[in-house]
Amino acid sequence: MSAEAENWEKVLWKRQPYPDNYVPPDFLSSLRRNPNFRPYTYWSLVSLSCAVTQHLATICIFISVFVHLQEQLLDPRTLIWLSVGCFVSGYTLWVLLDQSQVALDERINILKTFKSSILIFLALMSLSPVLRTLTASTSSDSIWALSAILLLLNAILADYSALNGKEQLTSVISMNAAVSASAVLASRLTTDIAVFGLMLFSIQAFALFPFLRYRFQASGSAVQSSLTFGLVLSTVWFTVGLSWKITCLYMLIFSFVTFLAPALLMWAQKYKNEIRGPWDVAVPRLD
Amino acid sequence: MQERLSIAMISDFFYPDVGGVENHIYMLSANLIRKGHNVIIITHSHGDRVGIRWLLPGLKVYYLPFLPIASSATLPNFFTSLPYLRTILLREHIHLIHAHASLSSIGHEGILHAHLMGIRTVFTDHSLFGFEDAASILTNKLLASSLKHVDAVICVSHTGRENTVLRGQLYERSDKDPTTLAVRKNVYVIPNALVAEQFKPHPPRVSETITIVILSRLAYRKGIDLLIATAPRICAAFPNVHFVIGGDGPKLIELLQMREKHRLQDRIELLGSVRHEDVSSVLARGSIFMNTSLTESFGIAILEAACAGLYVVSTRVGGVPEILPKDLISFANPDADDIFRAISEAIQIVSAGQHDPYRAHERIKRFYDWGQVATRTEAVYDGVIKSRQIELWERIRRTMELGPFAGPIYTIILIVDCLFFLFLEWWAPRQDIDYVTHEFRQEEFRKCMKEVELGEPTCLGEVIDQSAVMTVPELLKVVNTQ
Repeated sequence: MSAEAENWEKVLWKRQPYPDNYVPPDFLSSLRRNPNFRPYTYWSLVSLSCAVTQHLATICIFISVFVHLQEQLLDPRTLIWLSVGCFVSGYTLWVLLDQSQVALDERINILKTFKSSILIFLALMSLSPVLRTLTASTSSDSIWALSAILLLLNAILADYSALNGKEQLTSVISMNAAVSASAVLASRLTTDIAVFGLMLFSIQAFALFPFLRYRFQASGSAVQSSLTFGLVLSTVWFTVGLSWKITCLYMLIFSFVTFLAPALLMWAQKYKNEIRGPWDVAVPRLD
Repeated sequence: MQERLSIAMISDFFYPDVGGVENHIYMLSANLIRKGHNVIIITHSHGDRVGIRWLLPGLKVYYLPFLPIASSATLPNFFTSLPYLRTILLREHIHLIHAHASLSSIGHEGILHAHLMGIRTVFTDHSLFGFEDAASILTNKLLASSLKHVDAVICVSHTGRENTVLRGQLYERSDKDPTTLAVRKNVYVIPNALVAEQFKPHPPRVSETITIVILSRLAYRKGIDLLIATAPRICAAFPNVHFVIGGDGPKLIELLQMREKHRLQDRIELLGSVRHEDVSSVLARGSIFMNTSLTESFGIAILEAACAGLYVVSTRVGGVPEILPKDLISFANPDADDIFRAISEAIQIVSAGQHDPYRAHERIKRFYDWGQVATRTEAVYDGVIKSRQIELWERIRRTMELGPFAGPIYTIILIVDCLFFLFLEWWAPRQDIDYVTHEFRQEEFRKCMKEVELGEPTCLGEVIDQSAVMTVPELLKVVNTQ
């Protein structure tokens, strides 16, 4: 390397008076670490994790309802009336919370909803004898294992994102898993009306409630936290009569998900080391 | 004159597959042979191509019977290649292994086994990788583990070197200041090259139309979405512009849809896949070459186009900004508006006649030449051969630095590899190996050929006198003994 050498340039098209293994002083100057770093705040994470807690609480309530039905502690008729009540009040809330406020002849919309819900109601009712005997020949052990796997799948794949954007494939799979879980569980019940009640409730809890949850999520953290609190409370109320041990376990899981997991995530964030540089695949801007 | 080396190029990627890495290995080997070294190539079998084949300038290729799993790469299984590699490397008297491409597991295995036979190692990285997706995380760990053993690393561009240094953890505590990290001294940058004679500029056609050529795999990574977004705008703004697009891939349908939607069938020509020997004739049809890649470690296609006298418009990604001087290329950000701007500039430059294809060709011929690449690579080999070999204990220590989980795993692999090698030494002793003897000596042959050309064949004279019906091996034996 001669002393009066010209400055090194980051080019390949000319021979420079430097050896091939010369490391320039600005080596890796275009390296950027954690360019999009945003430190999390604890309470925003807690508020986001409320969606997970709500979904888990829904699953817990569903399991309790099933056990109540199977042990004949709950009259299926009460459950059906409760479901209808939930549907009407949930739908009203859903309409009221609509922030886009497009009043496009809402009456027709409501009539349409009413018509399709009656259809689903009747279809479920006519299918319930079939569902009751569908997996009757399968042993109960297999049913418990299968429904546990399906509900776990539902919890893992559910869409917990705060933005009510496009519906992802995983959330569709999640919903299907939950409905299948309730279909296989329904075969353990003894009467047709109990099967009908459980199926109706599962559709409320797993297909319709997530839509309502998005609306709640969009409408502020006070609503969000009170909904979470309400769901957790009803989980306790439904479960405590069956087993206080399970109730304790539920409470542990809920408090872990809501309060401890965000703290863990914040602690783990200090290990974040994202490396960016000119070698990354560029993101094309097309508009 | 350096001493003659026996070099084994090891890579999963080689002929009959075609591509940048394959061509690089072949051209480098051919030029090293021309410099008097012995070069062999070791790769995995391609279809029914198993065993030994010879390629034109006396290049011996070993096709090992391993099955590729995906896109011509084999599964990294660390040990299975050792019996084959040991026999081949010993019988060919190999001094140095040169592995290519970071996704080639057979290359990594070669680097892992080489030290058992006292063979030195060089590795060339041809591609860029990110750090975030699962595939990158796994392959980067694999790369880092084998680069702990390597004696020198060659990268094809400065950006590629920055990437490889980070991926392969090619840094250590600085000698001057132990608190800082410094890049190892054995990481080199040697660019690709091209055979300039294959890409000669054609006399410009006397017509008003300007043809833009695109030659690329039609895939997301090549930025075909950008092409689809900009081509209709360019066609609308410049009525004298035509497109010729060569290549095949998943984005072909979208290109066809774009052409149909904007009714540009007579302006945009799609050629489908183009064989490498036809590239030159496709390039000859245009005056501007457009590259919209989203990532590129070197961009040999750009270089070929520039060498054929085309003005280049490219996205500013990876190593592309390093390969051409500013007056031969226009850069754009990977965004449709900016590409449109750069293409407009290029059209102005070309239609004003400010770009001289012949001058561009001459310049590139001087910049990029395989002979120079071979000389620079030779210097790397020389440094490696003269350097001290890493001892086993040092290897174990370096491997343990990989991390709390990967470190012990790779150390166990290293130790098991040594035991396996000892087993093979007992099971297939060295004296039983069928060693290769080199009958052919490039230097002698060249001297004789020159003399024949000059009309005074002194060394060949006797041979030719003796018999006109001598077989080639006999002829070579006579030449070599004289």
